[in-house]
Amino acid sequence: MNANTGRRRAATGPQRHQPLARWAVVPLLLFVAIAFGIPALAMLGGAFTTSDAGPGTAVHYTTGNLTASLQGAYFTALLGSVKLSLTTALISTVVGLLLAQAVVTSRHGMLRHAVLSASGVLANFGGVPLAFAFVATLGNAGVLTQHLGLDKAGWSLYSFWGLVLVYLYFLVPLMVLTVISSLDGLRAQWREAARNNGATTWQYWRYVALPVLAPSLLGGFVLLFGSAFAAYATARAMVGASVPLITLQIANTLGGNVFAGQGNVGLAMSLDMVVVAGLVMAVYIPLQRRSARWLV
Amino acid sequence: MAGLTSLRNDTSLWRGGRKPRLRAGRGTILVVSAAYFAVPLIASVVYTVDDPVKGFTLSAYTEILSADGFLSALLLSLELATATIAVMLLLLVPAAIAVRLGGPRLRAVVEVVCSLPLVVPAIALAAGLTTVLKWGPEYLARTPFYQTIVALQNPNFPIVLTLAYVVMALPLAYRALDAGLRTLDVATLMEAAQNNGAGLIRAVTSVILPNLRAALLNATFLTLALVLGEFTVASILGFQPFAVWIVNGSNGAQGSVTIAVSVLSLLLTWGLLLMLSTGGGRRPTHEPRPTSGPHNEKEGTT
Amino acid sequence: MSTSAATTAPPAAATAQETSATVEFRQVRRAFGAAVALDGLDLAVRPGELLALLGPSGCGKTTALRMLAGFETPDFGDVMVDGEDVTAVPAHRRDAGMVFQSYSLFPHLSAADNVAFGLRMRKIGVAERRARAAELLELVGLPQHGDRYPHQLSGGQQQRIALARALALRPRVLLLDEPLSALDAKVRLTLREEIRRLQRELAITTLFVTHDQEEALSMADRVAVMHAGRLEQCAEPAELYAHPATAFVAEFVGTMNRIPGRTGDDGSVVEVLGRRLPVDGPQAAPHREVEVLVRPEAVELLADEEGKARVTGTMFLGALTRITVRLADGTVVKADMTTHAAATFPAGAAVTVGLPDHPVLIDERRA
Repeated sequence: MNANTGRRRAATGPQRHQPLARWAVVPLLLFVAIAFGIPALAMLGGAFTTSDAGPGTAVHYTTGNLTASLQGAYFTALLGSVKLSLTTALISTVVGLLLAQAVVTSRHGMLRHAVLSASGVLANFGGVPLAFAFVATLGNAGVLTQHLGLDKAGWSLYSFWGLVLVYLYFLVPLMVLTVISSLDGLRAQWREAARNNGATTWQYWRYVALPVLAPSLLGGFVLLFGSAFAAYATARAMVGASVPLITLQIANTLGGNVFAGQGNVGLAMSLDMVVVAGLVMAVYIPLQRRSARWLV
Repeated sequence: MAGLTSLRNDTSLWRGGRKPRLRAGRGTILVVSAAYFAVPLIASVVYTVDDPVKGFTLSAYTEILSADGFLSALLLSLELATATIAVMLLLLVPAAIAVRLGGPRLRAVVEVVCSLPLVVPAIALAAGLTTVLKWGPEYLARTPFYQTIVALQNPNFPIVLTLAYVVMALPLAYRALDAGLRTLDVATLMEAAQNNGAGLIRAVTSVILPNLRAALLNATFLTLALVLGEFTVASILGFQPFAVWIVNGSNGAQGSVTIAVSVLSLLLTWGLLLMLSTGGGRRPTHEPRPTSGPHNEKEGTT
Repeated sequence: MSTSAATTAPPAAATAQETSATVEFRQVRRAFGAAVALDGLDLAVRPGELLALLGPSGCGKTTALRMLAGFETPDFGDVMVDGEDVTAVPAHRRDAGMVFQSYSLFPHLSAADNVAFGLRMRKIGVAERRARAAELLELVGLPQHGDRYPHQLSGGQQQRIALARALALRPRVLLLDEPLSALDAKVRLTLREEIRRLQRELAITTLFVTHDQEEALSMADRVAVMHAGRLEQCAEPAELYAHPATAFVAEFVGTMNRIPGRTGDDGSVVEVLGRRLPVDGPQAAPHREVEVLVRPEAVELLADEEGKARVTGTMFLGALTRITVRLADGTVVKADMTTHAAATFPAGAAVTVGLPDHPVLIDERRA
């Protein structure tokens, strides 16, 4: 039925087109072509050419940068980023689902409003101040570290799990926002129909609710993965380089902290990231569509 | 009957035992979450006002103003934000309205274009930009473009950052505007306005834009929050707006001053976003979500 | 939970139709806060019959149905199936198949998997599940649609699948909660007949909730009219129409005229339109201003140039035409007659209004 209405709209649409409309889009397209297209092409070109050792040196086509970006310390950094993103995305998906479900099943409208507002704020915010807030809390001189003697227990914020803890701060709210509309979309009739067909509460979740939520949950997971994967500021402000991450590596090569001529490896790593982000979107969009079809 | 009644009592016992357990589970989740999200904030404030020697003091906050470079960094961020918002609105508002008037193909093009930045993380964009800026001295030194490249990087007002920020804000801002336009029947409104004698421009400014107030505010606030918190591109390109200053510039200052600045900037940004999700975000339709669309557009700040 | 006794195979019922169950509500009360949904409902459903629960929204009919399905529990009273109280049995072991208003199919499962869902919950093997699903799809007339997903089915097809799903576990009772209300008028009519045919074929005791009186009258063996949490009347459709027990039933079922009248010396007669007619049903005190309830088809019109009443409009209904007449005192009366006969009453015509010599229902005068 949805497909029909869509087709109908598409069919009636053209009659109302304003020919002037497309001119209003031109400035935007031009801007994106320049401000986004040129740097993107520059990155792409740089990733496939030899690093310039200086003016006048000939530039050659090469796949060496890409190969290098998937070896040694660079590859370790890529793996580190993937591992961190997978871990944080997984935890955030589970915690976000539980939190959203707790809010949805609560009868207090105030609680729902408060959690949604807070999530909207927290999900859109991370970066440097967040890193410092955690430094002040759980860093070496942090309030909790000092008061609870966590340092003696071997705790360090500047580690993989420290980063996980910080990333959850903006990823969990992001998941809550993503999944709460899906939870609202779970119809009471489905639960009752399942019960009516002999399903226990557990069976309802196992055979109805979770499968119906699956596209939305997976989509959310992928989105969180992308977010965590691309994050730089938080990690940079917190751990410096003590945890290998691809974003930190790219910044290092660009900042000239490594041997001259390595700059284009940074571009190749950027390309790696674009490929991963592209995959993320390629997985996310169809899942989003399916979820929308089921849960509207 | 007695037997039946006692059976029912069993049920109520059973139900009575179950519901509190569910409620306890929900309560635990909510309390643990609340603690996780509140503790870092509280601890940061405690950290800044609790001096190991002097005890309670607000000196960390009073010292901010005198900290080296604070004001210029903040000013730079605000200027960048203003420019970014202006460019973003000028480009996006006509495009978003046009999409509603034009055909499905136009819509698809604009949606893809505005989603492109999602595929290129901020750090990759920054990498591309450094490459372009390096062309300046290397290849363009003797061409008129050289002046353009130089102007782009003017440390007093790096235009290149504005360009990058507009690109980064596109997905978020477009979605905010589009969500607002979705509640309007733009085509009919425009036809009605023109039928009443309004020209094209006048129809947009007098009919569409007033109805779009909330969406415009949404897009503006989200862009503002993005620019104020942006660290990645600015630091890679070597400029020092607010977020970069907190990390690099304030090293000379005491640790507690750094934390105090970041607490203030947290509060500032959260205040802005809260305004958005309560006041500015209120729409004529009942939109339960404070912000719209997927949120991975915020790489720049994380 | 030691309630399995109530949910295993039905005990050999000592009723005429051996497989069909009886259902009974006894003094059932249920309040949601201050709102009383059921206020002492007493109702018995006979084995194998289709009983329609009819009433305006908020009359408690859906609450009664959900109570039988186990989604609500009574504050007081018993809900009995085959003589056993089932209030303690959890919903997933109730043995009552339910069809919901709409959108109840699981969106991620194909039609066949939706139908077989209950069998899967009972851990019945794949082969048997498939066979039973195919059988049920055949039964509801959609044998080719097993692989389709809900969003690929029309509203009517979705409700057929929902019906098949409700029947999959061979429930003792079938519960229909306004299953046709979201459908187009035409689909609604065909599905009505379909449900009725199936219900007769399976001889399954069925409760059908609806607010549509035409639907209730045309489908049900008996109709229970509910109002404000109570049962007003439970009777066969013809009886309900011809002899409504209360003024509420009279007006809710079919169209009813209210013509001012006055009770006679004792309460058993009423003077109306210049005649004295015996009072049917509850009587009023002598010499009281009342209103007399008359069906449009019982109203007689006579073309009469001296008549004080005027025809104000006619509505063509097909074989019948409904004529609206304004009496001298301003009362509006509707009269049904064959379209052929109605031709003699153009708008503006002067008429006299008559009533047949039958006992009539009366109600208090309304402001």
